Amino acid sequence: MIGWSGRRKTLTILLFIAPTLLGILIFSLFPFVLNVFISLTNRGKFHPNPDCTNALWNIVEPTCWLGNPPKGLAEPFGFQEPMLKNYADLLGKLFGGAALQALLYLAIAFLPLLVAWYLNRRFGRRLTRPVSSGVVWLGGLAVALVLGWLVGVPEAYNTLLESGDFIMVNVRTILYVVVCMPLFFALGLVLALFLNNSHLRGRTFFRVVLIVPWAASTVAIMMSLVWQFFFRQQGTINQILEIVNIKGPAYLNNGTWAFVIVVLVNLWYTYPFFMISLLGGLQSIPLELYEAAEVDGAGWWKQLTNITLPLLRPVALPIIVLSSLTTYKVDAVVWGLTQGGPIVGAGKPGGTEFVMVHAYKQIFQTQAFGRMGAFAVILFVFLFAATLYSLRVTQITKGAYE
Amino acid sequence: MNRPPTLGAKILMYAVLVLMTLFALYPLWFAILASGRPGDRLYTFNLAGMFIPTEWTWENYRTLLSDTVFLTWVKNSLFVATLTAVASVCLGTSGGFAFSRFRFRGREAGLILFLAIQAFPGILALVPVAQILSAIGLYRNHFGLIMAYMAGQLVFATWMLKGYFDTIPIDLEEAGMIDGAGPIQSFVHIALPLARPMLATTTLFGFMAGWGEFFLANILIPAPDAKKTVMVGMYQMANEVNIPWGQFAAGAVMVIIPILLVFLYVQQYLEAGLTVGGVKG
Repeated sequence: MIGWSGRRKTLTILLFIAPTLLGILIFSLFPFVLNVFISLTNRGKFHPNPDCTNALWNIVEPTCWLGNPPKGLAEPFGFQEPMLKNYADLLGKLFGGAALQALLYLAIAFLPLLVAWYLNRRFGRRLTRPVSSGVVWLGGLAVALVLGWLVGVPEAYNTLLESGDFIMVNVRTILYVVVCMPLFFALGLVLALFLNNSHLRGRTFFRVVLIVPWAASTVAIMMSLVWQFFFRQQGTINQILEIVNIKGPAYLNNGTWAFVIVVLVNLWYTYPFFMISLLGGLQSIPLELYEAAEVDGAGWWKQLTNITLPLLRPVALPIIVLSSLTTYKVDAVVWGLTQGGPIVGAGKPGGTEFVMVHAYKQIFQTQAFGRMGAFAVILFVFLFAATLYSLRVTQITKGAYE
Repeated sequence: MNRPPTLGAKILMYAVLVLMTLFALYPLWFAILASGRPGDRLYTFNLAGMFIPTEWTWENYRTLLSDTVFLTWVKNSLFVATLTAVASVCLGTSGGFAFSRFRFRGREAGLILFLAIQAFPGILALVPVAQILSAIGLYRNHFGLIMAYMAGQLVFATWMLKGYFDTIPIDLEEAGMIDGAGPIQSFVHIALPLARPMLATTTLFGFMAGWGEFFLANILIPAPDAKKTVMVGMYQMANEVNIPWGQFAAGAVMVIIPILLVFLYVQQYLEAGLTVGGVKG
């Protein structure tokens, strides 16, 4: 029993955890602490070097440790005045009047969808309903569109885009996620439904072949480079169009086309994940339910909306949340295709410059390290909150809360 | 949902599935075709050549494997990815065991900390990581890149292995306890042998992550050519002025196909990896 309990237990645990903990401290935590420090300074192209005579920097800054700090003509960096200036620069106009008003308008236009969701939830268990949930959703969507037109959602969106690069790339990335998710889900669901039909021959073959894009996503940068050839001026698409005498554009130089293409290519990478996860969910639905429904005379559509979709919810919700997060953090897919372009003007984020791509470009273009540190801290807070939420949905920390 | 579909429905289903298969495979097929095309052309004006091999040569493969630094890039990538994977599993296994088997103060905080680190994408840590590496002289060095990869991979490996140890029934270790085995014996003699498949899988995941990573490698090893990883090298090849397209396609095929096979092999374990976000979904 030695070591499982009592005095020796603490020692044993420490022994086990030490390698992992040490690694995490060195490789993860220290860079993060340093990042927070950098985010408070004006470090960057013009102030690259630390002032090692300062006691604080001597401790925190690794370039001071070895005794021969880099020297340059430039003044060493110091804290910003006021200290949170980098954060204020990034978020600045979001708390100005115009941007808040625009956000409010967007929220108003979004409200009917929330109401539709609530109504469906409230009356979801009723056996007899005057209207089906799909109709409620469509109604909510219609009202949302009308409201959006009334309050001027496009103008509000443009106001948001113009209130700073940080907000611009974030709003655009969120739009991207919102456009992507229904497509991912719909395609994944359709394929999963087909593959779940045991009367279909060759299911195993299709199941393996259709996963290939997911495998390719481990080398996303290479596959995206291959993808972008299709959309060049003399690419495959335009070659086919030429047969019917249409001269296609260079798709990736057009902002809207580039956005659509990035959605399409990401759909290619991501639908297998939805397909496989939803297939797993479908297979866990007991067949008796369908047999009972069949006896009651329910058709294919009725079975889909009243049995399949509700029972798929526990599987669908976590994967949508998880995939939203990975889509928000999309990087290599976009970089291989457009590098964040097309360019819309000097110093402005390009048409497909999503959050991670923007961060990456800023790091070596402007080299404003202090500001990028603040960028990272803000995104970290957001992503961490989102991850905690996704955990509540997936409940994978069950072990942590026993 | 599971009755035999009508003939019309069946035709529709097969039509969709076949179309999706073409959609799924065409980009890879395109790369394979281009890799066998003579000359430095990516496209062929012969439209049929875009879909079926009308001409085929191994010339691109031969040039790539003999003339350029391609093999060096592959070697660098193999080195970095393998070492990252092995090191993260070595450091993470004992921690995963402890988090699975023991209840101690700070355990919940530790698990939350893991998630916080997972939530933080590598690109955002580039600034401090580059500062640290240049300070200790590991900038433009493979070991520096491995250190940067470890930040994400270590947590991922720990979490994967913790999850697997959770699924191993504790009965065996209890039997060991009665025979007087301490935690270390039971870890080494009981849990580790049982976890062997998961150790292999986690190593493969770590390898795939290191093999396909581009952004950190591009910043942390910008030069010289002979030190680059294969992703950075190929990316640079695709952005040269006179692009050797045939060779690029040949390289792409050689880089993608092996990892594809590995992926299809470990795909059954993906669900576990996805919940931590360590695998792209």
